[in-house]
Amino acid sequence: MTAKTPEEIIQALRERVPSGKVLTDPDDLQTYGKDWTKVYEPNPLAIVLPKTTEEVQAIVLFANEHGIGLVPSGGRTGLSAGAVAANGEIVVAFDAMNKVLDFNANDRTVVCQAGVVTQQLQQFAEEQGLFYPVDFASSGSSQLGGNLSTNAGGIKVIRYGMSRDWVAGLTVVTGKGDILELNKDLEKNNSGYDLRHLFIGAEGTLGFITEATMKLTRQPMDLRVLVLGLADITNTMDVLKAFQEKLDLTAYEFFSHQAMNHVRAHSDIQPPFDTEAPFYALLEFEALSEQQVDDAMAAFELCVEEGWVLDGVISQSETQAKNLWQLRERVSESIAPRTPYKNDISVVVSKVPGFLKEIDAVVSEHYPDFEIIWFGHIGDGNVHLNILKPEDMDKEDFFRKCEKVNKWVFEIVERHRGSISAEHGVGMIKKPYLGYTRSEAEIGYLKAIKQVFDPNGIMNPGKLLDV
Amino acid sequence: MKVLVAVKRVIDYNVKVRVKPDNTGVDLANVKMAMNPFCEIAVEEAVRLKEKGVATEIVVVSIGPKAAQEQIRTALALGADRGIHIETDEEVQSLQAAKLLKAVVDKEEPKLVILGKQSIDTDNNQTGQMLAALAGMPQGTFASEVVVDGDKVNVTREVDGGLVTVQLNLPAVVTTDLRLNEPRYASLPNIMKAKKKPLDTQSPADLGVDLTPRLTTLKVEAPQTRKAGIKVGSVEELVDKLKNEAKVI
Repeated sequence: MTAKTPEEIIQALRERVPSGKVLTDPDDLQTYGKDWTKVYEPNPLAIVLPKTTEEVQAIVLFANEHGIGLVPSGGRTGLSAGAVAANGEIVVAFDAMNKVLDFNANDRTVVCQAGVVTQQLQQFAEEQGLFYPVDFASSGSSQLGGNLSTNAGGIKVIRYGMSRDWVAGLTVVTGKGDILELNKDLEKNNSGYDLRHLFIGAEGTLGFITEATMKLTRQPMDLRVLVLGLADITNTMDVLKAFQEKLDLTAYEFFSHQAMNHVRAHSDIQPPFDTEAPFYALLEFEALSEQQVDDAMAAFELCVEEGWVLDGVISQSETQAKNLWQLRERVSESIAPRTPYKNDISVVVSKVPGFLKEIDAVVSEHYPDFEIIWFGHIGDGNVHLNILKPEDMDKEDFFRKCEKVNKWVFEIVERHRGSISAEHGVGMIKKPYLGYTRSEAEIGYLKAIKQVFDPNGIMNPGKLLDV
Repeated sequence: MKVLVAVKRVIDYNVKVRVKPDNTGVDLANVKMAMNPFCEIAVEEAVRLKEKGVATEIVVVSIGPKAAQEQIRTALALGADRGIHIETDEEVQSLQAAKLLKAVVDKEEPKLVILGKQSIDTDNNQTGQMLAALAGMPQGTFASEVVVDGDKVNVTREVDGGLVTVQLNLPAVVTTDLRLNEPRYASLPNIMKAKKKPLDTQSPADLGVDLTPRLTTLKVEAPQTRKAGIKVGSVEELVDKLKNEAKVI
């Protein structure tokens, strides 16, 4: 193949995907070339919007021929720069593949194209009297393909698991350009390696997911929300245990008093109660009958007697339940103006309190003027560490110091056998730290797998692993 | 002074209401119920009056099926002192509700009666006004501010185009509007304490009120579903459609 100019490549691409749009406008390149991270400057060659699996295949074959990298782009809400095209790649945006293709009431499954927005899937399920339980703050813009490529988690993992658990089948285009139909929507299929799960969480480095058959479940009944004020961070586990002995929780979240202060300063939300507590827990459960509410009251009484809980409220209506959730869900946006350093880490649930205390101690010892904001899905061991830039500190200086924090945090993660990325993925931002969670031998196998599916290294290059 | 607050059990504000297939009413089977939002505001206002030392006792009353006791318990958890449940499974229309409340007013002799301006299920906006008329009390409806001043109460009312402040002699009836206050959450310790607060159950017959409806519902229909919008390519197309399809210009 003779060398071509960028214009010639773009022209050739247009010919290969006749029905799909190809965008090269600088505004489009900026928009589609990045996700929610602001670290890397987007610099894609072009944006292509395919409409079918076959068009995605054509694009992959084209990229192999021309040796050009492809970056998948969904709702672009990622926080690890997994969907950033900074090196002249072609961005494959799934916005035009946004159809729900099929619904099977008996199997309780729905076939979606990769560009279906999470909320669209949730609403579709609701219209069928069913429920898609994976939910998180960005569900209004995140797309299914991105959810699966990052195995998104969110706020209901304690009850419903991660995105991975809801996939009955996948259609993918591998880095070699083959179309594979994985698992064929079967519930039981013990016929060897389940390649479906290799593509889930692979961040598009092995191939692109173009369609997915998602499982649905029954709608939850009356959901009740409790917000409790905790005496100490170590009590989060006591409280969790006390409630789980009596109830199946659908969510168990926590946030610090500082986090709530930021939410209240940011938006006019009333506090759950006047009692001040260093940490708050938000619990949600399904009240199938009054029995569950009584059980929750009994668990609360025990927690108060033991001195773990200082005060608490329970929602008396769905409006109250929604408002109480705001206290937790608005944390991220309320601290965004303070350029937070973010980390999304996990350990097994029982290790959470010790783990938090260790990180807190190390950061406050070295940087006493840093404000630490803790929140997260503590019921599944996933916590979000946020450090806010002191107002008078230079941005560069702050990020340099955070680099050091990274190392300390990840060393603690490694010691507790945790993960450096619980639900945000690895992308480019976490890539240098993968070794804290995966052994050298394991990374060797990951690279070998990458080689099998994407021998030319064109699928989302520079993300997750360096080959 | 004693304050009487009326609360109603209604379909939760967040529930999508479905009309029964035979168009006789709204489907209530397995639907989440809650306290009417305007009644929550009424309870909150009474509790604030008590916190200020203006009110000495708050009596909360609800008319409805046995399950309405849940809403009375919520009000007790929020700070009311005792509850009266007028138990009935019959349909209770505004006038009958006002007569029942009038009977309670006669017995309890409160200085102030606070109600929501309307319930979000039937949206009638009648009971408070009817009660005031039956009881011969002055009324301050759609309140956004309530200030008790000796034997008078100043009520700022939200009316079309502005605010009107009226001064009423106590005893009086006040109905609440949305901006009066932001109701608090019921705390778990208070919910537990509320279980021990007195709750007296009575029947409409005890109060000598006949519930026979004066109005007949002919038909209940769901609102027309909105049609999806369309995109037009140009101003000319828009004008053409407005002229020839919508026929509005």
